Amino acid sequence: MGEPAIEVRGLRKSFGTKEAVAGIDMDIAAGSLAGLVGPNGAGKTTSLSMMTGLLRPDGGRVRIAGLDVWADPVAAKAIIGVVPAEVRLFERLSGEELLEYAARLRGLPAGEARSRVAQLLDVLDLAADAKRLVADYSTGMRKKAALGCALIHNPRVLFLDEPLEGVDPISADVIRRLLARLAGSGSTVLFSSHVMELVEQLCDHVSIINKGTIVATGTTEQVRGGKTLQQAFVDLVGPRTTDEEGLSWLGSSSS
Amino acid sequence: MARLLVQLKLRLLTNALRSSTTARTTFIISTFFAFVFAVGGFYVLALFRGLSASVDLTTVIFAVIAVGWLILPVMSFGLDGTLDPATLALYPLRTRPLAVGLLAASATGAWPLANLVGLLGVTVGLASGGLGVLVAVVAVVLEVLFCITLARLVTTSMASMLRSRRGKDLAAFLVIPIFAVYEFAIQVIPRVAAKGGITAASFHGVDSWLRWLPPGLAAHAIQDASTGRPGTALMRLALLAAVIVVLGWLWIRSLNRALVTADSSTQSSQVRAAALPLARYGLRGAVAARFWIYQRREPTSLVYWAMTAVIMVVVSISSIVGRPVHPDIVIASAVFGAAFVGFFHANSVGLTGPPFVIEALALTSRRSLQAYFAGQNFALSVIAVPLLTAICFGLAAAVRHPMEGVTATAVALAGLGAALGLSNIFTVSLPYPLARRTGSPMPQAASGYTSYGAGGVFGNLIGVGVLVTPVIIAGVLTAADQPAIRIPVLLVCSVAYGVLLAWAGVQFAAREAVDKLPELCQIAVRSTP
Repeated sequence: MGEPAIEVRGLRKSFGTKEAVAGIDMDIAAGSLAGLVGPNGAGKTTSLSMMTGLLRPDGGRVRIAGLDVWADPVAAKAIIGVVPAEVRLFERLSGEELLEYAARLRGLPAGEARSRVAQLLDVLDLAADAKRLVADYSTGMRKKAALGCALIHNPRVLFLDEPLEGVDPISADVIRRLLARLAGSGSTVLFSSHVMELVEQLCDHVSIINKGTIVATGTTEQVRGGKTLQQAFVDLVGPRTTDEEGLSWLGSSSS
Repeated sequence: MARLLVQLKLRLLTNALRSSTTARTTFIISTFFAFVFAVGGFYVLALFRGLSASVDLTTVIFAVIAVGWLILPVMSFGLDGTLDPATLALYPLRTRPLAVGLLAASATGAWPLANLVGLLGVTVGLASGGLGVLVAVVAVVLEVLFCITLARLVTTSMASMLRSRRGKDLAAFLVIPIFAVYEFAIQVIPRVAAKGGITAASFHGVDSWLRWLPPGLAAHAIQDASTGRPGTALMRLALLAAVIVVLGWLWIRSLNRALVTADSSTQSSQVRAAALPLARYGLRGAVAARFWIYQRREPTSLVYWAMTAVIMVVVSISSIVGRPVHPDIVIASAVFGAAFVGFFHANSVGLTGPPFVIEALALTSRRSLQAYFAGQNFALSVIAVPLLTAICFGLAAAVRHPMEGVTATAVALAGLGAALGLSNIFTVSLPYPLARRTGSPMPQAASGYTSYGAGGVFGNLIGVGVLVTPVIIAGVLTAADQPAIRIPVLLVCSVAYGVLLAWAGVQFAAREAVDKLPELCQIAVRSTP
């Protein structure tokens, strides 16, 4: 393997006494479609925020295509795109204005920006709603608009935090195809999710994070170890034990 | 059902005491004010005893309270979980018992009780004799019931809209007249009253039409019963009760509809613009375009501009409505106007909220941050310059010293530059997350950051005040000079000085921000403006 597209070493972050990320290491090869999976509160969002320069880590190093995110943020941020978990966009811009603004922020010339915006709106199936305010978009449309903002400058590495959370199947399919196409063209995609089927279907590389620590990382086949990813995940993270004896009244046959 | 919903309301109230310190403090302060309202209301209404206009004054107060009940639930929709019928739509509830329950829940709490106790002041101020007092008690109960039913009808009818974006926008815009009326009430009325402009006699005959409205019916019923016309009093009370029944019936119908109607009031807003304006001016132009669009489309921004205008007018109001005239007060208006433009935008990261992350991912160099702050300042200036200029000249004309408008405008423009520069510096050095608390249509400093907001106000006021002092001195010293030379020189020099101050602010803020972007992002993502 050549130089990894994403290289993480000893990344850690604490909030007060709680250690959210406890020193993680990760290597994602260029052109990979990688998944970061873990239960709620495992440290996925914190890790991705530190990898993208949005949250200052307490320690560790992140390199994107050889560029240190924290030593040379200008160069590193120029080649990444980010779709945060809670997609909060400029609500009072139209979808078209939003994408054009993202393009202009990234320094694209006006003509090129408009051409890319039109193409992306078309591919993301947002062309018909291009002139509607983002405030009136559905969750799926917001995710697609956020993806458009992240892709407008053709990033070499794309980070997505829970990209399909709350998204309808049609929008999910659009996003899924776009991510596969991006990875197929040599760009690297890293996304977090707790939907195992999605990760198993899409990703060639998986890392499982639990309580701020990477508990398994490698190709999807290696991490699965002959089981489904869901089973491998449950085995690694530990199933929740529940006492269902108390629900004897539950079900149609009970009164 | 009534019992259950009253218990729910009481549980919500007691839970407020157990939750965060802010919620507890808010609850305690609200209860304290309710107590003050009850005692104060009772005292004021009792003071009317023996006044010839006592029934007119009581009618006005009853009407003002009804208007309060009409407006406040719209402003604070969501404050009370039992207010929104949608929260109960999932349960198999019949409308009639639900209506009674919701009404009972509405009547539970410190404020309904405070209204009842406060209004009972009429038993002293307006009622006389046993029958008078008895009718007064019934009239007060009916008045409070009328207020509650009216508030319920309005909120239920508007529930789907108030949950929508447009409804929330409407609630934000309601802040403008309320703020203006409040400022007018505390600045103008005491001064006019102190000079004898408002007396109890001023209210004579004011109820010639108010008497036929429900609050007037309640007040006049008390007077009729106290002056030996029990039949008329009973007829008025019966009419008021009938109005309440009709409102209740309308409310039940509206509730029935609200429980099964989807939130469909938000029509998608289409924008006509084909592309972002100013695109050819690079990053600075793109940022200016975004801020310019937000100044027009974001209700909070529009409210801030309106509040700036109100503050400027209020500062000069004493010279407009009273004597002696102090024309220099217009200069004070200019300073306050500029300072508040700065203050309202002194936390632009918090005001932008989570979308700032999109900007932060692209703003990495000092040069790009300079463009960011400069673009922001340009967009704000496009609105502020004509607004401040027009108000300065308008106020100068209102105090009949039009030439004062020149000095005031010069001060306002220099002050605007200072305010924008300071707002950039405060944005970087004193950022804080904003939160749109339930019940408040305007964003406020998040819990634990109140002092940051106060720092922004005083920092801007003091900073702008100090920085415009040379312009004020220049304006006063040249007041007697030839206007043809003085006006252009003063204005050009002030604008140049303002631009210099704004430029300095941009440079300083950009230099600081380049190392603080992750921290600014964390403030932004915690903000819910």
